[in-house]
Amino acid sequence: MKRIKIDHLARVEGNGGVVVTIDGKAVIDVKFVINEGPRLVERLTLGKTPEEDVSIVPRICAICSISHKYAALRAMENALSVKVPPKVALFRELMHMGEMIESHSLHVYYLALPDYVGFPNAIAMASKFDLEVKIALEMKEFGNHIMETASGRYIHGENPVIGGFGRYPTNDELLRIKARAIQFMPFVLKTVSLFCELDYPYVPEEKTIFACCNPEKNQYGFAGDEIILSTGETLNKDEYKKLTSEFIVSHSYAKRSRYKGQPYSVGALARINNLGERLRGEAGKMFKKYFNRRWKINPLFNNAAQAVEICYAFERIPQIIDKMLNLPDPPLIKYKTREGKGTGIVEAPRGLLIHSYEIAEGLVSSTDIITPTAQNAEDIERYCTIAAQKLLSKGEEDKIRDRMDLVVRAFDPCISCSAHMAEVKKALPESWKSRLAEIKEHGLPLFVGVGKSDCSDDGVGLQLALELRKQGVKDVWLESELAEQDCPWKNGLDRPLVFLDAVDFKEKPGKVTLLPFHTILTNTVLSHRLLPFLSCQISYDHLKNSYILGIQPQTIEKGHKISRPVRQALNRVVRQIKN
Amino acid sequence: MPKDKPKIGIFELTGCAGDALLILDCEKELKDIFHAADIQSFVMAKSDNIDGKMDVALVEGSVSTEKEKKELLDIRKRAEVVVAIGTCACFGGIQAAFLEGSEWEKNYKEVYGKTKMTHTKPLQSKPINAHIKVDFYLPGCPIGKEQFLSTFNRIIRGNPPELYRFPVCVECKWNENDCLLNKDIPCLGPVTAAGCGAICINHNLPCVGCWGPIPGANFTSEYYLLKEKGFDDDFIRKRMGNFSGTGIADFLGKIKGEKR
Repeated sequence: MKRIKIDHLARVEGNGGVVVTIDGKAVIDVKFVINEGPRLVERLTLGKTPEEDVSIVPRICAICSISHKYAALRAMENALSVKVPPKVALFRELMHMGEMIESHSLHVYYLALPDYVGFPNAIAMASKFDLEVKIALEMKEFGNHIMETASGRYIHGENPVIGGFGRYPTNDELLRIKARAIQFMPFVLKTVSLFCELDYPYVPEEKTIFACCNPEKNQYGFAGDEIILSTGETLNKDEYKKLTSEFIVSHSYAKRSRYKGQPYSVGALARINNLGERLRGEAGKMFKKYFNRRWKINPLFNNAAQAVEICYAFERIPQIIDKMLNLPDPPLIKYKTREGKGTGIVEAPRGLLIHSYEIAEGLVSSTDIITPTAQNAEDIERYCTIAAQKLLSKGEEDKIRDRMDLVVRAFDPCISCSAHMAEVKKALPESWKSRLAEIKEHGLPLFVGVGKSDCSDDGVGLQLALELRKQGVKDVWLESELAEQDCPWKNGLDRPLVFLDAVDFKEKPGKVTLLPFHTILTNTVLSHRLLPFLSCQISYDHLKNSYILGIQPQTIEKGHKISRPVRQALNRVVRQIKN
Repeated sequence: MPKDKPKIGIFELTGCAGDALLILDCEKELKDIFHAADIQSFVMAKSDNIDGKMDVALVEGSVSTEKEKKELLDIRKRAEVVVAIGTCACFGGIQAAFLEGSEWEKNYKEVYGKTKMTHTKPLQSKPINAHIKVDFYLPGCPIGKEQFLSTFNRIIRGNPPELYRFPVCVECKWNENDCLLNKDIPCLGPVTAAGCGAICINHNLPCVGCWGPIPGANFTSEYYLLKEKGFDDDFIRKRMGNFSGTGIADFLGKIKGEKR
């Protein structure tokens, strides 16, 4: 068994890694590990005043601090029935544009681009791309300048508060921002072309579900009261749990999310996919010029999507400022409400961010915060699995580590949202035995033999099941028996489920492996015709506790004879299970 | 790279990565920072990081897992000088507000239930001086650009940092703001380390105490002042404890004793 490990994923914001374990030609495990410790931020806010909460929660993440502030304010104001005047809404949108520009330009130029042009970091890249590095820095600095104007400082500014702002900018300050935004446009357009025309590898490409905020009035934008999915469905913000259905995994302190059991993606690529048609102006032209079907299936295009969004933000800033110039500075809205419940959703640079609070007796009594990277974690793992498996099948094992780096970085994970990066590990010989023992610790396994009895070694799963039964092992089924009764393991939903099958993982005939069930769904080279079908009958929770015990076949041609090495393996497996 | 350049490592433990980000935010100075010193390790900024001996380690974040503790002990062994950067490294930050181990444990269980973590064991969040000897402290949430650049400049030349030795109030007065405490607004300026430029008060908002307590802060006086203004004990303790972590532990213990 071999492991590819990227322990300290460099050039991402935070601290995490990916570990890929391979057995022969099969990827048997991929874990996106977040090394950040537990911070219990939601718990820390309990008993605090709404104002204190709004000041504490942006500390979840420095690079998304404005988005956290914005989401918390929207949620609190919903809970406390505070309606803010138009100038406040516009000023908040402006500060959010600042964060988008700062975060996106930092990510595309400084964190992502070095990989595509072959440099270890942006400073080294400056030797060849001096002008780009310099202007990108200025662009980022401009984003920071907007945030400083709006929030008080680059990071964790306290100026945005419930009911408005402590201080408003002068028209002079606003006009200077407008003028600089317009001056940047030639470089902004170059940025879009640069990132839309990069040579993005074809691995991994696979469909996913995209989710983002649905801004009002059919506009493009970074906030709304509704969530829109690439499936065409929409959800009200208060129904966000239908989207996220959070759960905990044992290798990360960041919670995970799935929509109807499926991983989904959030972020710039999700927004461009779901809302791109709504873009107008130069950003609209760029969208029409560059958007194609690969944007729908390849996460690496998130870099291109971010570049298009930089363009959108630069065009939006003068529009916002024009509206603000004529409006008077409103006083802070005071509120008397002491009880309430509210949710606020915004788009952080890296995706949908949800804050939800309950207020009782003037203090926070319940807090729920769902960050974009937590929602992307499952899809990051899925795309890494696909990438690793496809490269492994093509015999390009040496490329796995770098490709995973590319994939994870494309998601622009902001790992303090709860991630340093990839490791490739090789499974030890016969490690299936120890892993089987581990599985047994979680409960007595249920066994299902699958395969085709008339295709020589492909019948080994069925033979194995029959042999186990003969030896007195309980709870063993054949796939043909499953159709007759519905879910025979109704009473064993907490017990591990092990499928017995012939699995082609490009090893010597008779080698045995043990795979988590979900890997079979993405490992195209291995999938048994029935397994995706069977997985429909298994609940998602049970799926996570399901495995495939596979034996490498010698031949699967027509015939009823099982080859010698496979027969010997069968006997070894039976002995092991009986122990 | 010539040999005489000081070797620097910048490390992130648990936190928001805001201090490392602020270093990247020194847009105009960034190239000079990389030229003046040999930045051996800075995970957020570069992928060719080296784990070797270094002159100065800048550490951000609090220690919140067993793995981080190990990493920190290793950093201490490899570095001549360790500087805690940011409120989390200096005092534990917001995640160190649960001062009692039992209180932290209870809240940890509420979030993660009985799930046994396979990657690394959780630890109650603590500042880095709970585990190693720290040479210098650079507070801030996040650290301020000015103070960071001055500190960086001094330490690469082998000099100790020179920080502001007064509370936010002093900077506030420099800016000629009206005192918010006089308007009965609960401001933590008097007990909070300066360096931010009294930014919140400049925006007509009270200091939330995010830079942590100034050494020798007169918590008692602030506490009774807020009490006089009609705030209750629970409110004041929470307000003062939001960012101060272990920096306020002794005082809160004392106040608790007095109450009984």
